[in-house]
Amino acid sequence: MVQSLNGSIDMLMAEDEKVIVMGEDVGRDGGVFRVTDNLLNKYGDERVLDTPLNELAIIGMATGMAMYGLKPIAEIQFQDYIFPAFDQIVNNIAKIRYRTGGRFSVPLIIRTPYGGGVRGGLYHSQSGEAYFAHTAGLTVVTPSNPYDARGLLVAASRRNDPVIFLEPKRLYRAGKTEVPDGLFEVEIGKAARLREGDELSIITYGSMVPTVMSTVEKNGLNADVLDLRTILPMDVDAIITTARKTGRVIIVHEAPRTLGVGAEISALIAERAVDSLLAPIIRVTGYDIPYPYSHEEFYLPDEKRIMRAVDRVIKY
Amino acid sequence: MAMVGNLSNEQAITAYRNALRARALDMKIISAQRQGIIGFHVPSQGQEIIQIAISMLSDKEDLIFSYYRDLAMLLQRGVPLSMIYDQLLSNSKDFQKGRQMPDHFSFKEFNFSTVQSPVGAHLPLTVGAAYAMRYSKKKGIVIATFGDGATSTSDFHAALSMASVFNLGVLFICENNGWAISVPTSKQTKADIYKKGAGYGIPGKRVDGNDLIASLAGLQEAFDYVRSGKGAYLVEAVTYRMGPHSTSDDPKKYRVDEITDGSENDPIRRLENLMLRMGVLDSASIQSMRAQAKEEIDRTFEERMSIPPTEPETIFDDVYENPSWIQEEERRDMNAPD
Ligand SMILES: Cc1ncc(C[n+]2csc(CCOP(=O)(O)OP(=O)(O)O)c2C)c(N)n1
Ligand SMILES: [Mg+2]
Repeated sequence: MVQSLNGSIDMLMAEDEKVIVMGEDVGRDGGVFRVTDNLLNKYGDERVLDTPLNELAIIGMATGMAMYGLKPIAEIQFQDYIFPAFDQIVNNIAKIRYRTGGRFSVPLIIRTPYGGGVRGGLYHSQSGEAYFAHTAGLTVVTPSNPYDARGLLVAASRRNDPVIFLEPKRLYRAGKTEVPDGLFEVEIGKAARLREGDELSIITYGSMVPTVMSTVEKNGLNADVLDLRTILPMDVDAIITTARKTGRVIIVHEAPRTLGVGAEISALIAERAVDSLLAPIIRVTGYDIPYPYSHEEFYLPDEKRIMRAVDRVIKY
Repeated sequence: MAMVGNLSNEQAITAYRNALRARALDMKIISAQRQGIIGFHVPSQGQEIIQIAISMLSDKEDLIFSYYRDLAMLLQRGVPLSMIYDQLLSNSKDFQKGRQMPDHFSFKEFNFSTVQSPVGAHLPLTVGAAYAMRYSKKKGIVIATFGDGATSTSDFHAALSMASVFNLGVLFICENNGWAISVPTSKQTKADIYKKGAGYGIPGKRVDGNDLIASLAGLQEAFDYVRSGKGAYLVEAVTYRMGPHSTSDDPKKYRVDEITDGSENDPIRRLENLMLRMGVLDSASIQSMRAQAKEEIDRTFEERMSIPPTEPETIFDDVYENPSWIQEEERRDMNAPD
């Protein structure tokens, strides 16, 4: 995924000189995960900015750039460190189009790695997508493989609105998916059906997709699997279609359960397809605790926990 | 007998011994990290002397908000090596119950507050702590340490602003090691760090943080100022990051222009040379102190290594004083049979 993202940003910068990359260690170091590797050499320090250590300033400055004609791609080194900029995100970025009656827009991409499984403890592991998804005016996406990473990033850059681009860091060096050369789009707002099945539906996204797929394959589940890809606005048609098709729905995400993305998916299904349900909707998620350093393997949803949910909905 | 100024020979030797312990400990952690025994490490090598000077001048009652790169400060203040290892190994004796990454210490008994990863986030807390101490008429001041990168954060500026408005006794000490991961201080800030307090009415001063004598002299003035109740003070201690940012970092990407391996910036070597010159130590005693430090570091590591980890279900403790039904339900979920 790192290579795919790096190549995508490179091509976007080559294509449009208004694209600016900025963040901590994105230049000389090429980003602590190497997503911006070599861009400084290629495009120079007017287009690739190693910034001082201040997330609020990075995002606030990028917002001003975006309002006045540039197309910044700002990196926040870990999603855990985005919170100093939360005021900018919620009170400026998400509301500038609205409050100016559509006369200003903020075509800004905020890229940031999220999620655990890297022994990063409390502050290098959080999955904060729900904080952003609660804010109208933002678009929130998360790829689960190198192909979608490129397609979603390109689609985000074609928008005239801000996109929070969440990168599952555990998968940075995982996927073996072939990524075609050149730029292509994956439509924002559209889920991917990763597998067809009739007995149950598993709805997931981002870092949990490989865990879900290997569980399904290993256990030969007859499951319809959706990868949301876009969290806000989520693909309600795909969600309702699969819920109606199987009547049994499991939602898997790494973020905590309470008021997470799974709660919204459940509510959509309850409102629109309750008559099709054959079992309760079950969420398999991270626990409602700060992300622990020790024992993170217990925190992360795994095959065992997913299979327990499968048993429950099948035997219901 | 005084070595220099009012620094006695014994004090100098203790400082030197703790610097050697910190250096040996740092190297031990790095090798344990390579073997997968310790998860991560932020090396302190090159910054030992300023950290030791801070601990030498602080009183027991002073409250220290250190940051993640302050190993030598802990040792000089008397935190037992075993407790440090327990945190690094996140074993069941770790006071924090394995909740935090290595180097994120909290030693309440020694008046070390709590280290977090978000850079600068402890700084506003220091101001509140100073207010609480003054309000409850407690003795002591608050000391905060942080890096050069941290001086760009909003938290840093917020803390200076509040400390000055409420005239609070916080001694802010920046350990300027020249880098914030790959960003050199010259690109981090156009201003001199020690002058960053001026706009808030907070005096500042730069000291050579790699020289024990200069560090003690410079810090003494700052400690006196804060202790006298005049308010906050900002010290910039110029020091040197000898190693990578962390065990996950590869400085070859960005430290290409450096002409030296940094050994002439090694503050321990500087202290050693001074003590040799002054006749406080000879090379035989230096050899034996080094061996002693290494022996203690290795032996204690072996002792603490055998302590078992915490029980997995403790991850649900301490979210609240009294867990809600949510944590209780999830604890049952985790413990459910397959
Ligand atoms: C708010 C925040 N942003 C980014 C990071 C990632 N990060 C960890 S350490 C660091 C550099 C800190 O440099 P400095 O303050 O000079 O301290 P040093 O590590 O050099 O001792 C960065 C960017 C972080 N931990 N917190
Ligand atoms: Mg630094």
